[in-house]
Amino acid sequence: MRKQTRFVAYLSILAMLVGSMQSMQAQAVTYRIDPIHSFIIFRVKHLNTGFAYGRFNSFSGTIVVDEKNPANSSIELEIDANSVDTGNSQRDDHLRSPDFFNTRQFPKITFKSTRVRKINDTTVEVQGDLTMRGVTRPITARVTFTGKGRNQRGQEISGFETTFTIRRSQFNINYGLNGGLDDEVRVTFAVEGIRQ
Amino acid sequence: MSVVFESMLTAGLAALAAGVFWLLGWRLRRAHALLSALGVSVGFAVLYWRVQGRPDFPPIDATQWVFWHALLALPLGWLAGITPAYRWVWVWGALLGVLWLFVPPFRPLLESGFWSLTVGVAYIVGFALATWLLMTLTAPLGEERGLATPFLIALLGGVSAGVLFYGAKSASLAQLSGTLGAVVGVGVPLAFLRGFTIGRGAVALAMLLFMSLWTTALGFAQLTPGQLVVLYLLALTPALRLLPAMQRLSPAVRLALPLAIVLVVGGAAVGLTYRAYMAQSGDYYSY
Repeated sequence: MRKQTRFVAYLSILAMLVGSMQSMQAQAVTYRIDPIHSFIIFRVKHLNTGFAYGRFNSFSGTIVVDEKNPANSSIELEIDANSVDTGNSQRDDHLRSPDFFNTRQFPKITFKSTRVRKINDTTVEVQGDLTMRGVTRPITARVTFTGKGRNQRGQEISGFETTFTIRRSQFNINYGLNGGLDDEVRVTFAVEGIRQ
Repeated sequence: MSVVFESMLTAGLAALAAGVFWLLGWRLRRAHALLSALGVSVGFAVLYWRVQGRPDFPPIDATQWVFWHALLALPLGWLAGITPAYRWVWVWGALLGVLWLFVPPFRPLLESGFWSLTVGVAYIVGFALATWLLMTLTAPLGEERGLATPFLIALLGGVSAGVLFYGAKSASLAQLSGTLGAVVGVGVPLAFLRGFTIGRGAVALAMLLFMSLWTTALGFAQLTPGQLVVLYLLALTPALRLLPAMQRLSPAVRLALPLAIVLVVGGAAVGLTYRAYMAQSGDYYSY
């Protein structure tokens, strides 16, 4: 009888452990960035007149979402700086040159979050380190949850979007600051992640 | 402020800095060797700061080494003007100096695997030896009176700017190179002062900086080895004036021959790079 009681007790503890592990797994969900349905676009003012837009075509990364404890959420992103695309190959070559990204020496632009704070049910504030042209600077961005669904393969997908502004001079990208191109660059990152 | 005005202001300030040191060197003959090199060194530093902003030390970005070359190579420029009895110090010092100066800028390309070890070492040693040869062969031009030397170097700067702009696709390297030509070009009006020479150090240092810009454009931008060779040969062209056969000719002919080569070959080089650049895209991109 005593043996039976002990067995039931062990079983209950095991069930609780498995249950809590499952709930932990349910809390933190990892999404792999789908590069086909994600976009990194930027804009900068040209000659103090109009806005020039561009994008990066190649990037990868993961987003970890913990709805119960947003502080456990994180974002990691790696952009191929050579994939810059502004719709003009001469301008793209110029952007790859030492005047801007210096992609021969710095082929990657990376972002790694350091802190995530919940603002409301659909928005979090993400702080992290952006590394570009060998310089790492902290940035803060508000990331909005834009939707959830399933793709054609039946995989669970989630959408997020953020827009933030950086000063390119902080990353040693100083060319044309005197009236040619503005220092402020607005970046929009719209992502669709596939649940892993 | 317009971009054109900004560029002209930059060129004016850099040229003014060089001109002040050269005028001082003209007045203070004993310090001529140092002031001759200081003119190029400070002029280029002013120019770089205006175009690219304050560089780090040691540079995170390898292309910033161009700025530090202008300052670190100052002793080499000064040595170039040393008395003939000790000129061997300059020759060997320049060789060791350039070998040391050309390693740090290109190390990142070896570390990232963009160049294999063999190719990278061959490039770096090749750059250093070619620069040493260029500096030692052209330095004596700085002792020549008259406007030929600064004028030819200024013209070289113009050709170099065109090739770097359309060939390397780097506007900043083109601006640095073209304005370096303008800095040396200050020697043209100063050449009308009695007994004025820009000095061996100025020529040696200017040539080192041109090579630093061109090799940077090859390593980090899109300058091709062929374009680099053409620019290098054009930089050697003014030294034709030093050949014994040329020394016997009239001053006008001694200027006309290298001038014609720089204009024709340099013009063709700029024209060809421009054509290739335009063939890349139907629409002209004006930076």
